[in-house]
Amino acid sequence: MILPTDTPARPERIRVGCARGNRLIPAFLCGTAGLALLCLLYLDLPWLRLASRVPDLGGVFWKLAHLDFTRWELILSALLETLCVALLSTFYGMLLGLFFGMFAADNVFRIRGLARTVQAFFTFLRAVPTPVWVLLMMVCLGMGPAAGIAGLCVHTTAFFTRAFAQSFEDIPAETLEALEATGVGRVGVFLNAVLPSALAPIVAWIGMRLEINFAECAILGMVGAGGIGFVVANGIQNYEYGMAGVAILLVFLLATAIERLFVLLRRRLR
Amino acid sequence: MMKMDLPPHVQAERRTYTVFFAILLLLVGLCTFHTGFNPFAPLLEHEAFWAFLSEDFFPPRIPLRAGRLGAIIDSLLVTFAMAFASATVAAVLAFLLALFASERVSPLPRLAPVVRGLATFARNIPALVWAFILFSSLGIGTGVGFVALCISSCAFMVRAFADTMEGVTQDSLESLQSVGATFPQRVIHGLLPACMGGFVSWFLYCVEVNIRASAVVGMVGGGGVGLVLFSYIKSFNYHVAFFIILLIGALVIAVDAITGWLRRELSR
Repeated sequence: MILPTDTPARPERIRVGCARGNRLIPAFLCGTAGLALLCLLYLDLPWLRLASRVPDLGGVFWKLAHLDFTRWELILSALLETLCVALLSTFYGMLLGLFFGMFAADNVFRIRGLARTVQAFFTFLRAVPTPVWVLLMMVCLGMGPAAGIAGLCVHTTAFFTRAFAQSFEDIPAETLEALEATGVGRVGVFLNAVLPSALAPIVAWIGMRLEINFAECAILGMVGAGGIGFVVANGIQNYEYGMAGVAILLVFLLATAIERLFVLLRRRLR
Repeated sequence: MMKMDLPPHVQAERRTYTVFFAILLLLVGLCTFHTGFNPFAPLLEHEAFWAFLSEDFFPPRIPLRAGRLGAIIDSLLVTFAMAFASATVAAVLAFLLALFASERVSPLPRLAPVVRGLATFARNIPALVWAFILFSSLGIGTGVGFVALCISSCAFMVRAFADTMEGVTQDSLESLQSVGATFPQRVIHGLLPACMGGFVSWFLYCVEVNIRASAVVGMVGGGGVGLVLFSYIKSFNYHVAFFIILLIGALVIAVDAITGWLRRELSR
């Protein structure tokens, strides 16, 4: 039997330094922790008071869980309105987004500066949260679904413009050149080459946005527009927790259903 | 002209698209009927609309009365602090929860569907609904906005982190397990180095989302710039409101630019 006689008294440390490791990440984590600490100090939250009221939270959930279906007609009509607003705003946003996406993509019209200008404008529209637009539309158009649709449309259009422009730009230049060589105009190229090849990402984006718009719609009721959000906010403020519980549950179920539906659709189109 | 026969999978794809857009149009028709929304209404009323824009809205006015501008800037900082602090706290919590949400990593695989289900439930309820539930028990204020943002972003990140963990190769974890590494050792030496890039990217995305969300949560009583903006709109002071909207836009664009830059630098 051969015994290893030349083993060192103290084994050397094996270097496993990962060559691809990024040296910036530890610095980033430290910076994040420091900034978060500063933010918490700036906010100066009343931790003790918050903690002392946490037991009440259980009570609220207990009350919400006592579902109250007596006013189901009101809840269902509000839910239907919310769904309609979400769908219509997504649809009109998609139409406008296709139109403006054409201008925002580099490879459709090839006019220097146009794409940049359009992109910058929509970046600003996208940066302002949706409820702000809805509030402003409510001032112009009055209460009702029209204000909700128009307000959501602003943000949706801005989102789709960016997303569609990106999908258009992903199309290989060879495809476009082949059509150009046969003498097709720019709009012809867009309709026959760009749009068909970008259909799959467009459907995926529509699904994603429909989900977002439904969640946003549920929010809108709380800042004063109608819909299911109003039922939730009103129910909680008037201590009708059972009704609010039903509304929240329905929002959750519908949001999950929309998500599942588009996951299935995307799988089918791949 | 000759009609070309397309390969069957292309035909199937075409059918799917046709059905999808047909259903979409049908639903749009039904919704238009139900809500009575006329898509040309905003265009027909464009005179009132432009009058509102040009007279009530433009130009933005900076409030000059002493303390007003300071209060606005202060509320903007509160909004940022709320968003960033909640994202960071939520990221730490989400990391710990995600360890138990991924079936292949978790020491208790039985528990994984439960954690995932809870996260899905919390994620599909918008942050504002959480804020309302919390307001009724914890009272109104910045603290509640902070907690509401924490819940929604934590639920989002649990899902994202768990997916990241499932996405990376499990070989290193298995080999660490086979040499007898404990669960914390496996996480620190096997999981973290492989997943850190993905985690950071999702965290930055969450910060971007939270900035917008914290402005919105502020509107219903969470404090910050949303509350200030809401009060200016409600008091018909649209010139100042427009100034605040510009400020919010600038904040969001600046944060997006910084996170985009960080993402590029960190993924190199």
